[in-house]
This record gives sequence, C-alpha cells and structure tokens, in this order.
Amino acid sequence: MKVAVHLNVNRQEHDIEIDSRETLLEVLRERLGLTSVHRSCEEGECGACTVLVDGDPVSSCLVLAASVEGAAVLTTEGLKKGDQLHPLMEAFLAHHGLQCGYCTPGLLMTAYALIEKTDGQELDDARIRRGIEGNLCRCTGYMDIVKSIQAAARERQLGNWW
Amino acid sequence: MKNFIGSRALPEIQYHRPADMASLLALTGSLGGELKMVAGCTDFIPAIRSGKWVFENGLNVVDLKNVSELVGIREEGDRLIIGAATRLTDIAESESVQRSAPVLAEAVRQMASPQVRNIATIGGNLCTASPAADTAPPLLVLDAEVTIQGGDSRETVPLTKFFLGPGTTRMKPRDVLTEIRVPVMRENEAARRTRMGLRTAFVCSIISLAAWIRWDGAAIAAARIAMGAVAPTPIRLPDAENALIGTDGGPQALAETAERAAAGIAPISDLRASAAYRRSLAGTLTRRILDQCIADLRG
Repeated sequence: MKVAVHLNVNRQEHDIEIDSRETLLEVLRERLGLTSVHRSCEEGECGACTVLVDGDPVSSCLVLAASVEGAAVLTTEGLKKGDQLHPLMEAFLAHHGLQCGYCTPGLLMTAYALIEKTDGQELDDARIRRGIEGNLCRCTGYMDIVKSIQAAARERQLGNWW
Repeated sequence: MKNFIGSRALPEIQYHRPADMASLLALTGSLGGELKMVAGCTDFIPAIRSGKWVFENGLNVVDLKNVSELVGIREEGDRLIIGAATRLTDIAESESVQRSAPVLAEAVRQMASPQVRNIATIGGNLCTASPAADTAPPLLVLDAEVTIQGGDSRETVPLTKFFLGPGTTRMKPRDVLTEIRVPVMRENEAARRTRMGLRTAFVCSIISLAAWIRWDGAAIAAARIAMGAVAPTPIRLPDAENALIGTDGGPQALAETAERAAAGIAPISDLRASAAYRRSLAGTLTRRILDQCIADLRG
C-alpha cells in the first residue's frame, strides 16, 4: 500500500511516497540514496545497517519506514560536514578501525551514540565492547575499533567534535 | 525487496498506527482480513524473511508503539506495572525496575543487542513465546501477572498460565497484552539469574534461569525457580523449589535442589546444544544462582 510519509533524515525534511512494506534500510538506501547504510543479514543479527533514530542506534532492517514518521534519523552522511570527515571518522582512520569497511558505517553510528551518551565518562575496553556488541566485524578483531573509539572520545573531550 | 537467496520479501501491508487504546480497539474490532499487532518488529520481520510466517494475501499491521496506555513503567503500591509496549532498553535502564525487580533489569540488559533492545518490547518477547524467551524466567520467579484485553473484556492472569506451547499463548487472535504486573521485591528476599549462550550478544539462550527466595530469619520460607529453553515453554520447577522450602539453604539443600532442577526439565538436542549439556547446565547454574541468592541475603 502506498503511503505518504514525512521523514527527518540527517536534519533534512523529506516528503516521500513509499510502500508501507519498505524497511527504513530500503528507504534510506534506495529512495534517499544514502548508500552508507549497508544491507547485510536483514534480520537484525549483525548491526551493519545501524542508524540512529532519535539518538538511539537501531537496526534499520528491522524498522518499517512508516513507523519513523516524526523521528529524527541520522546516518554517516549526516555526520560529515559536506566533504569534511567527522572527528570520529578521522579517529577510525588514524587507528585502523576499519579494513574492508562493510561494517564501518553501522559501527560509526553505534560509536557516535555511545560517546554522546557517556558524555565524558571514561570509556574503558569493557564498556566499549559492551556498547558495540551489536555490531559484528569480520576483519579487524575489534581491538583497533576499541582504540579508535577511545581516541574519538578523547577528541570530544578536547572540543574537537560536533 | 528480497535480499539473499531464500530471504523472503515482506507481504503487502496496510499500516496502522493508533495513538491510544480506544483507537486500537476500534481497529481490532473492525479491520477485515489478516491482522498482526507489532511493536519492535524484531520477531515479526525475521519471521517473514525466514518463511516462518507467511501472509499470502497481505495483512494489516497495527503498530502498538504509540498507544500511550501501553508504554511506560509505574509503581502502584506493591506492584511494578510495565506497559507491554515498553522498550527493553527502557526497562533495563529504569530506576524503578533496577530497584524493585533488579533480576529483570539484568536479564533484559543481556538480550540480543543494543540496537534490538532499542526497538524490541517486553510484550513482544512474551507474545512471541519462544521457549527461550529471556524475560520469562525472571518474571516467573517474581510471580508476575499479565493483563490481556480482548475487545471489551479484560483479565489478569499469572504468567504461569500464559504460555501453552512453543510460540503459543492463551491469547486469542486480536487480543492485546496490555501490561505486566510485577510484585516489588522486599528486603528479606533475593533473586538472581543467569543464562548460557554460544556468545555474549545475539544469543538464543541454550538455557536461561532465575531463582527467588524469601528468608524468614531462620529458614527459607518460599522459593521459586524458573527456566527457559529446556521445555516447550518457560517453566517453573516446583519439585526443585520444594527441596529448598523450610531448609536453611545450606550445601546439602542446595545440592538436592540442583539435582532436582536437572531432573525436572525436558530439554531437546538442537543445533545449539545437546539435551545432556542443557541438563548438566541446569544443575550447575541452579546451584550457582542459589549460592548468589544466599550470599545476597547474608550480605
């Protein structure tokens, strides 16, 4: 069934017509061209499709797009300032937090929410691993991901953040 | 849209988003055709993708997340009342739950993943009624009740009477689970839980269990033990409980209880674990959480 929805994505308002069976993943990728949101297991078991809805990480493959009317959605395209990478992304580059990059956008959104939510608290290894337990990575073995997130949290404390 | 081979597309959906119970009941009372009530969709969408649920002629999807009466946690005398459409994250982080039913908060914190907990709901977990439902053992040992609304009628039943079989509850089509009522824990009581899985997150528990005991100063006055993933439904273990009641909770009583717990279940062997391993875990883990309960009461 066709429905008109009003979505707020990356701080932009969109009025679009979708099919009510479309997931948020499909709408973001295919209707809005936000291809950083990756299609992977499509059953909520890997986290590659993670985006933020009202600041909370969710698996976009498990969300019916029609249900996020009125909520604010954020993807990695929304973290960048034009072409400028977000300090979180710079931290991942500096500390080798990615290899193939497939899990990376989902991980970045989870990490962003984690750092925002823990607002200045020390993020030790255990706390970070608990926070990212919903994002699987087959390449890195997670150590450098943890280091990248710790470095990013330090950048936020130094005021290099948005 | 389909993804990989074998993953099914979602059916034709008529999406409804009522804002309150009156609107919800008007919909369930009037909509024709197939109807599914959803909240987080964390069971709904995977069930369709895997072919577990098939809707050949499309269906009405009624989203419960905005029904104001179904969301929220409040205290009412000696009960914690949890709206069925309350998110797992909100239950895990709730001060009321952490204070009055910490064993539930701890169990919820370990479910699935943060992303799933941010959309999944306690009502969804109970209504999907997997034998391994992780909210069930803590709720069973706390003697929780659930309220079911069917059209105009409403009944509150003990959770022990809710599950009928794997994936089946006493709810009729178009019934709505509205709230979970949990007795608040008291000072002379202790409750602990644990579960075993193949990894830390994204786990379908191979066993999950909880225990609750009440101490009257000299002996264990009351005890409840519940397990998931070891029977067709989440279950209480009355035979094991009786080995504890009236005792001093010393090593002999705990050993007898653990033995009866292992004997009192009907586990299956599946791709995750053998029946023998589940039985072995039942005994060991029962002993472990009871030790923790006794230590809690002493400390």
